[in-house]
Amino acid sequence: MNLNRSLPCTPMESGANKIVSAQPSLCLCNVSLQLDGHAILGEISLHMPQTGITALIGPSGAGKSTLLRCINRLHDGWQGSIELGGQSVRETDVDSLRRQIGLIAQKPAVFPCSIRDNVIFGLPNQQRKSVSDESIRQVLEQAALWREVETRLNDDADTLSVGQQQRLCLARALMLEPSFLLLDEPTSALDPRSRDMIEHSLQSIASQIPLLWVTHDLEQAKRISERVIFICDGRLIEQADASDFFSRPERMESREFLRWNVCDCD
Amino acid sequence: MKAVIVLFALPALILPVACLGYILWQGLPALNWQVFSGQGMSGFAQEHGLYGQVAGSLLLMLGATVIAAPVALALALFTRLYLKQRLQTYVTTLLHLLQGIPPIVYGLCGLILFVHLLHWGISLLAGQVILAVIILPVLVLNSLHALERIPGEQTEAACSLGLNNGQLIRRVWLPAAWPAMLTGLLLGMARALSETAPILFTATVFSGVVWPDSLFSPVTSLQTHIFYLAQEGANSQVVGVAWGAAVILIALILLFSAGALWLRRVQYRHRRMSG
Ligand SMILES: Nc1ncnc2c1ncn2[C@@H]1O[C@H](COP(=O)(O)OP(=O)(O)O)[C@@H](O)[C@H]1O
Ligand SMILES: [Mg+2]
Repeated sequence: MNLNRSLPCTPMESGANKIVSAQPSLCLCNVSLQLDGHAILGEISLHMPQTGITALIGPSGAGKSTLLRCINRLHDGWQGSIELGGQSVRETDVDSLRRQIGLIAQKPAVFPCSIRDNVIFGLPNQQRKSVSDESIRQVLEQAALWREVETRLNDDADTLSVGQQQRLCLARALMLEPSFLLLDEPTSALDPRSRDMIEHSLQSIASQIPLLWVTHDLEQAKRISERVIFICDGRLIEQADASDFFSRPERMESREFLRWNVCDCD
Repeated sequence: MKAVIVLFALPALILPVACLGYILWQGLPALNWQVFSGQGMSGFAQEHGLYGQVAGSLLLMLGATVIAAPVALALALFTRLYLKQRLQTYVTTLLHLLQGIPPIVYGLCGLILFVHLLHWGISLLAGQVILAVIILPVLVLNSLHALERIPGEQTEAACSLGLNNGQLIRRVWLPAAWPAMLTGLLLGMARALSETAPILFTATVFSGVVWPDSLFSPVTSLQTHIFYLAQEGANSQVVGVAWGAAVILIALILLFSAGALWLRRVQYRHRRMSG
């Protein structure tokens, strides 16, 4: 396939030229965003493969969360183009776009109703009444939460621990059968055990759909991701296969970032 | 130091209690079925009894509530949904300023606009609309406050799941905010019951009405009735009826305020249990 056709503006940045083999699932072209007169994102162009985990890394305040919010149009004032599965997100109805794109936030936000009602919260009215217990079980199993809530589906969701709530949020997003998942530091508020469980379940989900996973934890990025996108100050610095990025980053900024953050770990 | 604080604080506690006690002491003996129903009474509009005034007060209050509540809710939702943070602050400031306008000024505007320009005359409707305008800022501020307390993460989570604005309001905002909104509504109703000046020359008359024929008839009300009767200071029997009317009015207001307090307590307890 001629990638130059499906990628009208293939990023010219060095390190960005390792083209994914199939048509990309998500493609950003020169995306810029200003908020209150401040440039938050500047001309970001990137693309993602059909499946697998892409880690979005960068120092805090780099614009990672903002970028995710542009993709599902929680921010709508950006310039440039964002295409999901070859279609511009601007041309898709915003509510159905968001049903297509699951977003897991840093801090889990469950609704003040039962665990079961939380799982099916995003479904349309009729489906909420007719949804089968089997499909609820399936998504809870996918989110690695089923065994813990099996007997208490009708309990209030806020009786769960934060780690469990985060997995509940994942199940809630999976219930809508998204074709794309955005994860904004989903494990940063969690204990190591919950983190491992989430990583594990997301890795198996990533065999079917693409995941864009924001993390500031480089160890985690190494563990989970196949591709890495590094942004800093709202600009894309480097995108590369994870193994390449961590062993021989091409840009000076990347090397510096890796060095500093390795120091942090010690 | 403690003595000084107590010295200054004590009147603040004693005065209202003493007032209330005095009103009850004067008013309760004056209250009987005769005064309420007007049977066998005559003079100073007593032949119809106080129930006409009770009905008038309640009609004015209910009308004001029915008009103000949906407008307040819509305004609060609009502000939260569509206005930028800075504009939201302006709206809140404006509402606080509106709260500071003396009710008599609203009465004057109402007199000019509704009674004269729109030819409604001295009417129930004019009173209801004026009272609605007076309680509107309280209701909006209260609703805004209730909406602001909903965690932004919940709103964002709902949007991320593809809920549109209507679904967001119905399924996330209102279920979380309605108890606080209802509390504010009850306080607003108590306020509408107690306002006297703005309806004095726009909605009420001293006598001649028991039950208004239409929205465009004048009514009598407890508040204004007390005012009229109190002017007959020399006639102890008439003043007694005024005290009685005061007791009924206070009881009604306390009923709504107590309802609001109770609701607030229930919410607080619920938040503590769940949060
Ligand atoms: N609503 C907003 N208005 C103005 N500036 C914002 C807003 N949201 C985020 N920012 C700014 O955008 C920058 C990037 O924020 P964010 O995307 O949260 O960074 P990250 O997730 O990479 O830590 C920060 O400097 C932040 O102050
Ligand atoms: Mg962030």
